[in-house]
Amino acid sequence: MRRLFLLLGFGAVSAAAVLAAAPSPASWVDDLSPITAADWNAERATHLLERAGFGGTPDEIARLAAMTPQQAVDSLVEYARVDDPAPPFVESGIWDRGMDPFPPSRADAVRQARERGEALGVTALPEGTQRRLQPVVDKFFYGLRANSIETQRLGVWWASRMLTTKRPLEEKLTLFWHGHFATGDAKVRDYRMMLRQNEMLRRNAEGPLRAQLTGILKDPAMLVYLDNGENVKAHPNENFGRELLELFTMGVGHYGERDVREAARAFTGWTNDVLEFRFDKDQHDFGSKTFLNRSGALDGTDIIDTILSQPATGEHVAGKIYRYFVRDDISPPIRTELGRGFRAGGYDVKPLLRRIFLSKDFYSAPSTATQIKSPVVLVISTYRKLGLRTLPTIPDFGRLTSALGQTLFDPPNVAGWAGGRTWITPATLMQRGNLFRDVLFADAKTFRAPDRLMPFTYARVGDNLARGMNVTEATKEGTGDAESNAQVDRDEDYNTRYASYRGYLVAFERTKPIPRHVLDVSLTAMVAAAHADTAEAAVDTLAKRFLSVPLPVKDRVAFVEFFRGKSLASEKDLRELLYLVLSTPEYQLS
Amino acid sequence: MKCDCSRREFLARGLYGIGLGAGLPTFLSRTTAALTAQALQGTSMERHPERILVVLELSGGNDGLNTVIPHADPAYYKARPKIGIPAKEVLKVTGTFGFHPSMVGFERLYKDGHMAVVHGCGYDHPSLSHFSSMSYWHTGVPNAGEPLGWLGRVADDHLDPRSRNLIVNVGTTQSLAVRSAKHSPLVFNDPATFRRDGTDAEKRVLAQMGAELSAPSASSSNATLDFLSATAKNAADSSDFVRQASSSYRTPIDYGIGGAFGGGLQRVAALIAAGMKTRLYYVSYPGNAFDTHVQQGDVHARLLMYTADAVRAFLDDVTRLGRGDDVAVMMFTEFGRRVEENGSLGTDHGTAGPMFLFGKHDRLRAGFYGRPPSLTDLDDGNLKMTTDFRSVYATAIKEWLGYDDVAAILKGRFDSLGAFA
Repeated sequence: MRRLFLLLGFGAVSAAAVLAAAPSPASWVDDLSPITAADWNAERATHLLERAGFGGTPDEIARLAAMTPQQAVDSLVEYARVDDPAPPFVESGIWDRGMDPFPPSRADAVRQARERGEALGVTALPEGTQRRLQPVVDKFFYGLRANSIETQRLGVWWASRMLTTKRPLEEKLTLFWHGHFATGDAKVRDYRMMLRQNEMLRRNAEGPLRAQLTGILKDPAMLVYLDNGENVKAHPNENFGRELLELFTMGVGHYGERDVREAARAFTGWTNDVLEFRFDKDQHDFGSKTFLNRSGALDGTDIIDTILSQPATGEHVAGKIYRYFVRDDISPPIRTELGRGFRAGGYDVKPLLRRIFLSKDFYSAPSTATQIKSPVVLVISTYRKLGLRTLPTIPDFGRLTSALGQTLFDPPNVAGWAGGRTWITPATLMQRGNLFRDVLFADAKTFRAPDRLMPFTYARVGDNLARGMNVTEATKEGTGDAESNAQVDRDEDYNTRYASYRGYLVAFERTKPIPRHVLDVSLTAMVAAAHADTAEAAVDTLAKRFLSVPLPVKDRVAFVEFFRGKSLASEKDLRELLYLVLSTPEYQLS
Repeated sequence: MKCDCSRREFLARGLYGIGLGAGLPTFLSRTTAALTAQALQGTSMERHPERILVVLELSGGNDGLNTVIPHADPAYYKARPKIGIPAKEVLKVTGTFGFHPSMVGFERLYKDGHMAVVHGCGYDHPSLSHFSSMSYWHTGVPNAGEPLGWLGRVADDHLDPRSRNLIVNVGTTQSLAVRSAKHSPLVFNDPATFRRDGTDAEKRVLAQMGAELSAPSASSSNATLDFLSATAKNAADSSDFVRQASSSYRTPIDYGIGGAFGGGLQRVAALIAAGMKTRLYYVSYPGNAFDTHVQQGDVHARLLMYTADAVRAFLDDVTRLGRGDDVAVMMFTEFGRRVEENGSLGTDHGTAGPMFLFGKHDRLRAGFYGRPPSLTDLDDGNLKMTTDFRSVYATAIKEWLGYDDVAAILKGRFDSLGAFA
């Protein structure tokens, strides 16, 4: 009886909207023909905004519902026409020239310093000095920590943009490409590259795939992430070529191992000078190659062209776009047809999106309220439905989504986020509710900003030093017999634990703090505006505004019961009620 | 945790997964677990109802040749002039093989007779894709569209689906390896956050919401919603126990600084200590960590050190808990790496690699199994596998867990290795 809707006590407006919505005919499934103006209503407008954006307030939905379906879809898809001055990311300026190129590991920084007497722009202390490489290792850890903080700031900047943009599809699509061309700062370790990549993905988001593909294959963050700087004539490194074929374009089953190796050869010498793409002709293999039955002195551009000539590419990428915006299971004929159209249209993304968003299939029952929101979408869409204009940062946005398995600028691996049901485990399902309690009852007093948080092990080094211990004593730790603990304690040319402590400290000094705000909303005003004057009406108002499916009858009864004796004039009471609504399994659905 | 309960309550609580071990003397929690297991399996044909299998995944494709090093084979040093581990540094355990110098923990386990190494594990027509190959190892059915995990199928065939939490997967996402038709594996990462927040009144409503979500109603046409509801119920049923077991767990054993991996194994130890009746545990070294294409020396050394630290600590810990005899550990990766090093002081994706079995008891017959693959007779630069990985799965299923229908579970005939007495 889950779908049974108890209409009793419904506000007149919302009840009318629900009653108007007849279920979509079964024949709409897999039908790519466009819906008509007669099919258009508030429920379908809600669905469009949920999927092509991050959902919205009743006012925003009403505006879309008042248009024709074509106008509504265009208002989202033709976002380039919408004026939206997004604030740029303001850098802290943590990088100095000596830090480029940043060594791949602490051990490498140390090796460099031993060989040249300096690394990372700092010189080693004279031979014979105690811990003579300490300044270099300090600087290395400073670089890591400061970059990690800048990347957190970058995540908050992007999240704010998702919240406030007048072009929601642009951000939703950029998020798609971020997952598709997954690149993680944990490996790249350079927020500047991540920022540039993000801007590039946004610039090409709706454009032809060729521009996006060429852009990403010349993108410093991606080149570093997939080790292509190490892909050289004498020893091709296959990582880049393999993921290009398997994940970015064709998908497994459409090429062989030989093609992977030949593609790797064609991309030899594609590398970067820190923030710029560079073609290193000395490392490029100009020899003859055979890739997917095409032979010649192929280079990377030829590989891209060959890939784009394959039907498999259209189907793989269009299919993935469909699964991101519509539903997980795509029927083979739809996949073939969308892929064909995508390729025939020069791989232009915009017409593909328009076709999808206007199709009857997009509004069919299996496509509506069947998608599990990604953590980022879960949080941003909640804020949008609340009508917020400022991103709450207490609790910390990045921590909220990371706890649920999604960190902006840090996908788990090159395949991106698997999405769908993989977001949900018994533990994350509970967390998905809890996080909103932390938002609704934000505690600014006990909040500890993660961009200013030093792990206990290192903070204690500082405490020990303040108590007058020397560095060796201050960094001693652990009496266990794990090999890894024994190694960290070694205190010869440098002390790793001390360097970590120093690294945090200097990073805190040199990065701009993330501005902290608690949720700024009035649920009492929201409920009053909906003319809800009973417990039932308050529950229904919130359920209608936030849920994509009806609240089950027994939960509605329990929520109404919970609210008895509470007050519609109490912000706290209403926030408790909203917390319950946002904790339901139903709320995970978009 | 103090308990004045009767023996009957004891047993009942054990049955419902509310174990007592965390704060109790070891012998008592051991007894509880054994009683629980017996009561549970009273009607079935369980030969070893107390036994636990812990499966460890090293994601990213661990470089087997730099893990179990053929230090007497000149071909190894020829293929790896820069990243080969010099023979004098290898922790030699036989005249021909030894461990990477950072794996002190494994050397000790091996020498104490608590570790078996299986050479050259792989499968026919190997995939060099992380994602395809990992899914083949997860399902145990390479090059096929098998929807369930091999551990999921073990549970489907032998463990009572009415009994909860027989499969635990420590991690942020559920592994395909534990996907089951009948069981709903318990998946969690940070036990401290495995709970509902809120006032008592809020929590009451939410607990009721979880508890009352029973089987999907026939009228529901939304499969995603049914899935969410079933997961909510599982969460409501299990979270308190897991959280309490983990938060009250104290151990003097040092799991090292490897972070997620050691932490995951310590959580398993906590659940075992608390008398959780889980039979199959799954822990992954996450994030494609072992994908060492570039400058692999330091990184790989660190990864192996963390791995060896964590495994050795875990075995010490369960032994300390009096459950050492009941635990076997199997460790795998989705593929080994190319024999020849690449130009970036790293290695590219390859094929066969060693698998590992551990157990601090005399059931395990320590030593090397299988034939070492040749480093010169290669398949396009890759090792030819010598042991089908499902023979090792078969060993765990048949010889350790005591289930004879290996062919049905693994969808093919695979001989076990005789690694467990």
